[in-house]
This record gives sequence, C-alpha cells and structure tokens, in this order.
Amino acid sequence: MVKVKTLIIFALVAIIGIFTVIYFFQSEKSKIKKRFKLLGERVCKEPGENKLNRALKIQKIRTLFAENCELKTHIPSISGDYSPQEISTLAASALSRFSKLSLRFYDLDIDIQKDGIAKVTFTAMLTGKLIGEENFDETYELESVLYKVQDSWLFKSFEVIEVLRK
Amino acid sequence: MVRFAGKKVALLKRVVALEGERVEFRHGKLFVNGKKIDEPYVRYPSDWNLQPRQVEKNTVYVVGDNRSVPIENHHFGQTSIKRIIGMPLW
Repeated sequence: MVKVKTLIIFALVAIIGIFTVIYFFQSEKSKIKKRFKLLGERVCKEPGENKLNRALKIQKIRTLFAENCELKTHIPSISGDYSPQEISTLAASALSRFSKLSLRFYDLDIDIQKDGIAKVTFTAMLTGKLIGEENFDETYELESVLYKVQDSWLFKSFEVIEVLRK
Repeated sequence: MVRFAGKKVALLKRVVALEGERVEFRHGKLFVNGKKIDEPYVRYPSDWNLQPRQVEKNTVYVVGDNRSVPIENHHFGQTSIKRIIGMPLW
C-alpha cells in the first residue's frame, strides 16, 4: 500500500514538473512573440501619422535591441554590428524615404536554448510605398537570436536567409 | 515549387541544372555543361549574361520562365533540395 502511495506521489510530482516546464516555455515564447509584434508596430508608418508620435516610436525601437546587434544580409553595405542608438537612427533615416510602411512577422519558429538565448526562424513581410514611387511588397525568411536580459527578450542578431543564390 | 519563406510563401520555378553541373547564360540563352538548352517555354527573350558556375552538393539550379525582366530583378539561382516542396500536376 505504501509502495502504491509513493508511486502516485512520484507520478504527481513528475506531471506537475512537466506542466511547469511546458508553461514556462509557452510563457517565454509568448513574450518573444510580443517582442516581434512590438517591433512591427514601432517600425510601421501610416500616411498622416502624427510626427511626434512617430519620433517617439522610433526612439523606443532601441529598447528592443541588445548592445551590438548584428545584421547579416547579402548586401554588404548594410551588414554589420549596430548599437541600439544606431538602429534607431538607421530606422529614422530609412523611414523618412517611405510614405507608408508595414512590417509583419509570420510563422515564428521559436527554439529557446539554455542560458536565456532564443533562436527564431520567421517570415517578414514588408509592404509600403517609397516617396514618389510605386507600392512594393517584399517577403524574406530570417533567423534572429534574442538574449534574455532582466526578464526582457532583446534582439541580438538578424540574418536574412538566402534562398536563391545566383 | 520552392519554399521561399515560412509555411506559406513559395516560388514556382523550373529546375534547369542538378548538383555538379555547370550553368551559365550567354545573351539570354541557357547553357548547361557548355551545351545550349532548348527552352520552348520561354516566351519573351532576354539578354541575360551570367558567368559559368557549378551547382553545389545537395542543391539544384532553378530559373523562372518569365525572363522579360532584368537579370538583377529576377529571383533565380541555386537552392537547397530541402526547399523543394512540390511540383505542378499538369
């Protein structure tokens, strides 16, 4: 009888442990998804948007990035390491060329690794209009690494996956 | 069909060369291993020029049929065979 009780207690502890781990990872994944959503919201630009609001949004972009975020693309001129302030400056400069811009993320595949590091593969869809030019619609697959710093997930790197190489 | 991004974005391309083969364009004409390939499916001629290159291991070389755009604006090239997700049925 005692043996059965011991087994039941072990089983309960194991089940609680499994659910705790699942809950923890789900909760962390949810936080990471929110980070991506926030990045998209801060980058987007609507025609007629209040300039002060936009400036504040751009300034806040830097709070999403870790020190020295690395950008890897097939375009050497924009690849490199950027500080959070440089990212805000770069975003402000790039956004000034658009009359409207939307950045959305899909198919986030999140792999939480040890020591507060997460690797995320995702699709980024960029739609909008360059000032004086036609609408555009671009899609990319990317990989990003995020570090957890004081309960916040910060972007540490972005790499554009080269699907077709001429 | 080549998986381009995520689960939903795919490109429809034609496989023109396999791993180990050499592919190039000369004045819009496709050459594989130095042999000109007849491409009746290409409706609009191009003036593309691309230096010969060897297709790497576990990849194939894909090109679309619409060659009316400048070479730098056309999505084509070497891609992993793992990204091939299907083919047209007819």
